[in-house]
Amino acid sequence: MARREVGEINAGSMADIAFLLLIFFLVTTTMEVDAGIGRQLPIKLENPPDINIEINKRNVLEIMANSNDQLLVENKWIEIDELYDIVLDFYTINKVNKDVDINMPNYTDVDVNICNTEINKLNVLLEKDPENIVFKTEKNKWETKMILCKSIDGGSYKEMNKQAIIQLKNQGGTSYGLYMEIQNILKQVVNELRVLECERLGFPDYFELKEQNPDDQEYIAKLRVLVPERIIESKIDR
Amino acid sequence: MSKFRKGGKKGIPGVNTSALPDIIFMLLFFFMVATTMKEVDMQVEVVKPEASQAVPIENKDDVDFIYIGFPIDAAVGTEPRIQLDDRLAPNTRAVGEWKLLKVREGKTVVKIVTSLKVHEDVGMRLVSDVKEELRDINAIKINYSADKVK
Repeated sequence: MARREVGEINAGSMADIAFLLLIFFLVTTTMEVDAGIGRQLPIKLENPPDINIEINKRNVLEIMANSNDQLLVENKWIEIDELYDIVLDFYTINKVNKDVDINMPNYTDVDVNICNTEINKLNVLLEKDPENIVFKTEKNKWETKMILCKSIDGGSYKEMNKQAIIQLKNQGGTSYGLYMEIQNILKQVVNELRVLECERLGFPDYFELKEQNPDDQEYIAKLRVLVPERIIESKIDR
Repeated sequence: MSKFRKGGKKGIPGVNTSALPDIIFMLLFFFMVATTMKEVDMQVEVVKPEASQAVPIENKDDVDFIYIGFPIDAAVGTEPRIQLDDRLAPNTRAVGEWKLLKVREGKTVVKIVTSLKVHEDVGMRLVSDVKEELRDINAIKINYSADKVK
């Protein structure tokens, strides 16, 4: 029998098949990358501790946004682009020189001795009430501060007043866009200051630090002590 | 002179299309690599705010998305609504129940981030209610979705 030539397969419609697949992917997928600003909401405690401390007005930066998207910061009407400088001042104005602006929070030196006395005080309290979550977190914080002090030349660092907080107040009609602009500015100031601290203390690049990475957790804990990010959001006015 | 041009009719040869499938495949692979699947069909219109400090979400499997925006279907009304997966939520209470149902095996609700994709013109009243609801069930890690700008 004579060998029969195998006919070539017609590949002309290959392009059409590929086109079909291409169009399928074009329709079902998106190009956008999900990005955002991460925040943590305060934990709801079942028995909130009865805290009744008098808070010095200088330690609170009050940012209020009303339903017309106007900003009132420290009882002054401001534009959104002025906010950055105010927040930066809140963090840094009294850091190098004491009491440059007495309406902004003060800084105090923290060294190993102070950490030790605080930890001892908390140990006594924890002996009486071993399950108290407030004391436990407080003790953790002081232990981080202790490690931080030991790792810095001179054994001390400047700590922002412990009560220093940024208070955000919104109204029901405040637009989410404005809220995000405020959040973005707060994040920007903290990020920039933390980058500076990283450079000063020879830490790795701040934006490369990952919370999942055990090696980085210590750096992150230290940076949180050096540049605290304490934002309180009040219930909105209805 | 016509030494090299021997007579006879000469047609223009057809363009060789045998490389066409390869070109299309190349485009296909580009799109397969550069894009991600859409998570849901949008029931609400969301124009995200811009933020310079936004960072990309890394582990998308451990993130739930809540969309808050203005309904695309005019019959639903013009008030901002919450979209959970492919459906509009009847009220803010539904957010908590939905979030608890979505808890992955071996994980606690605290560990799973909730990404809020909110239209920039939506009022804080609704956003705040959703946050309060999430706080009630201890889903405290949230991410305000924004478009990254320089």
